[in-house]
Amino acid sequence: MNTSSPLALRRRPWGHFVAILAVLLALGAALAAAEWDFAALTDPDRRAAAAARIGEWLVALASPDLSHEFLARAWELTLQTLSAAILGTALAVAAAYPLAMGASRAVCVGEEDARGVWRHFPLRSPRALLCAACRLVQDVLRAVPDFVWAIILVAMIGLGPLTGALALALNITGILARVYSELWDGVEETRYAQVRALGAGRIATFLYGIRPLASRNVLSFTLMRAECAIRNAAVIGAVGGGGLGAEIWYQIRFGAWDKVGTLILFTLLLTLTADLAANHIRRQLRGDPNRAAASVTWTTAGPSQSGRAPRAPWWAAAFVSATAVWSVWFMGWGNRDDDGAARNHLAPLGEFLTGEAWTRLGFFERLLSPQLDAAFVLRVVESASIPLAIATVGTLLGTAAAIAINHWHSASCQWHAPRFTGETPGVLRRAGRAARLVAARALAMVSRGVPEVTWAFLFIAFFGPGLVAGTLAIAVHTLGVLARVFGEAVDNLPHRRFEPIGASPLVLWGTVAAPMAWRDWMTYTFFQFESNVRAAVVLGLIGVGGLGFEFAFNFEWFRFERASTYLLMMVLLTVLIDRASRMLRLARVGS
Amino acid sequence: MFQRSASRRGFLLSIAALATSAALFTGTVAAAERPEKLIITAIPDDGDADRMRENFGALAKYLGERVGIPVEYMHVENYAASVTALATGRAHIAWLGAVTVAQARIVMGDELTVLGCRDIDKGFVSYFIANPATGVSEVADLGELAGLAQGKGWSFTFGSKSSTSGHLMPRSFFQEEAGVAPEKVFRTVAYSGSHDVTMRMVGDGTHQVGALNYASWDKGSDELKVRAPVIYTTPEYTNYALTARSDLGENLLNELRTALLTLGESDDNGKKVLEYLKAGRFIEADISEWQGYVDLLQSGIDIGG
Repeated sequence: MNTSSPLALRRRPWGHFVAILAVLLALGAALAAAEWDFAALTDPDRRAAAAARIGEWLVALASPDLSHEFLARAWELTLQTLSAAILGTALAVAAAYPLAMGASRAVCVGEEDARGVWRHFPLRSPRALLCAACRLVQDVLRAVPDFVWAIILVAMIGLGPLTGALALALNITGILARVYSELWDGVEETRYAQVRALGAGRIATFLYGIRPLASRNVLSFTLMRAECAIRNAAVIGAVGGGGLGAEIWYQIRFGAWDKVGTLILFTLLLTLTADLAANHIRRQLRGDPNRAAASVTWTTAGPSQSGRAPRAPWWAAAFVSATAVWSVWFMGWGNRDDDGAARNHLAPLGEFLTGEAWTRLGFFERLLSPQLDAAFVLRVVESASIPLAIATVGTLLGTAAAIAINHWHSASCQWHAPRFTGETPGVLRRAGRAARLVAARALAMVSRGVPEVTWAFLFIAFFGPGLVAGTLAIAVHTLGVLARVFGEAVDNLPHRRFEPIGASPLVLWGTVAAPMAWRDWMTYTFFQFESNVRAAVVLGLIGVGGLGFEFAFNFEWFRFERASTYLLMMVLLTVLIDRASRMLRLARVGS
Repeated sequence: MFQRSASRRGFLLSIAALATSAALFTGTVAAAERPEKLIITAIPDDGDADRMRENFGALAKYLGERVGIPVEYMHVENYAASVTALATGRAHIAWLGAVTVAQARIVMGDELTVLGCRDIDKGFVSYFIANPATGVSEVADLGELAGLAQGKGWSFTFGSKSSTSGHLMPRSFFQEEAGVAPEKVFRTVAYSGSHDVTMRMVGDGTHQVGALNYASWDKGSDELKVRAPVIYTTPEYTNYALTARSDLGENLLNELRTALLTLGESDDNGKKVLEYLKAGRFIEADISEWQGYVDLLQSGIDIGG
């Protein structure tokens, strides 16, 4: 079985260098291809106007609308957002699992003789074809923006909060299936070769070999996605599900900054709670190496441990199922109509069983015959340069900022530093470190707690629509997301790996933590880049321009043939990035 | 044992499915006679959703009382959604602008009919407005505006992409009088989404120039009118109509038409609707009056994008 030669094992992982080179090329191309209009930042008049609007917003944020009536409304929107997100994620996990099994080469294709380029050829065997088909399905699910799913679903089952949740579920299914399958593929074959050698089939190899090895990361990503879903649910509200994001845009258009302030506070409250809950669950389900090492009693309590199974995972499971039950209940009976009457919003689900809902799909039939004349296709390809440019520059800015605050953000480098530097800091120094830690974490939390679309709404209101507003929105959000996962990568390093050489925490961070976490960082960055490309396409819809704008324009004019070509371009972009990342094998588990 | 019960269950299920579809089929046939409930929707040309719910709710209530079937207003968030709802039978009646009427006509063909339009709809105009900081007061035609705007780096906003008075007509008049697309003259051409948002954005200087329907400008506050004054009024054209699906049946359609034509000051709901829509009364109209727009759209006119 073990055919990989020692030479192959010792080969350097060139993937990241190729990726970095590609990113530099992409950066050059991004600056050259799209028309960057920095007038909003350089022109003194417009800069003053933007500053005035930011000032206005900050003042309003300091005095949010806290009237009883509006607070009640915001609370209701928060619950709506939460239930749609939980329901969407739960459905998505259920659908993504089998889809990912199909899309994972390790699971679906299993052991095979094909080597080299041949391995990437889908027609080599029926299994490989199934694998390729599953990957295509998940790419389409992911690439088609959730609001397009929402429009199609509205035609099928009508308007309502459920429609939003289902649209969200379809989109998240694509994302989760990709991540799961990539994580399973990332497990080194040698680590489960024994299971296979004992005669296990593909399913058994998956259940007893691959799945357990990747389960921690799968869990982490599921929880991370649940949080993202809570943020995205805010956006999907636009199709009638209500939700915080739709209301924020609504209030920004009317310049009601005090209400925007209140709504953003509620969004932050929701995402912070989700953040803490997810962290708590994660910690209960997997031990934190440094925490374990810190509490001596835990490690010495060997015998009592083996006596009974730990109860924590049960509590976590109970909590998760309780929230799921609540969200089903709320989705069905908790939403109030305009006239305050309760009505069952789950009823439209029954319409999927009728033929009528499916015949209504005929309305979108023309989407199946895209316009493909050369001149138009060229225009479509050109329009993709804008989201790519926004995503490239935004991701780079966000990543650089996340690395810059990583030292402050890491608990290991600030709070726990004395454990491995051997120093005994005074009260003042300790307080200073705690303050830095809190400041960095608060910055990251606010940046990621506010969805990128909401950031874009704000930056458009400040600087006017265009590439600059979109790029800043992506950069700020990326900073928030990456600062957290970068920080986790550093904090997850066992303290014993920081050798007490008497250097300061900053030097240790630069010489030990950063190089060790670098590979994880790059993996996360690439993931984020892909999600940023999709976000940039969606930002096009709200006035940033490019692919998303062109698509929405043609869709709204019922020029489905043209819209379809733009949709194909979106799918193509996603497929290309996905395949590139798989070829470079950026996602690796436990290596 | 298990096998048999499974196959029996399958059999029962298919019977149940057959029965349901039969019930549904007869249900839809009956619906063609007289549906149990009517859904009315509208293009969201007013950015204030609550105001739309309130006033179109009043129209729904009025129509419901007159034809003896409950009518409910369904609010949608964009123009395309209202056409989609009507075309797929999600909604039975829709308040559409001329462009959306033409779009629905192209998609639905004879399935679409017109119930009536407002007295003001056969001589509708759009306004071009400018932020006072631009120094533009009034222009004789849009060629002059294009000349003034050239090289200034101004930003322009239409309303919704599929709006007649907020996009198509202002654009085609601009094209006609200035001989050039607005994209060539202004730094950016944006779509604010609705008329009153256009007015607000020009008022606060997010965009320097914009175009919107005159009735929406009239509805704006006096303070906003000062910050977003009218610089040009377009020639007249035909606009909005209340449309319906033909499959509601001739009887019901006629009842609805009569109800609409007699909508007036005497009824509280009617008064509210007319005041909101800035109309004196509703008048008769025929779908053929919108054929010009259908031809225009099918001629492949440049609508940006």
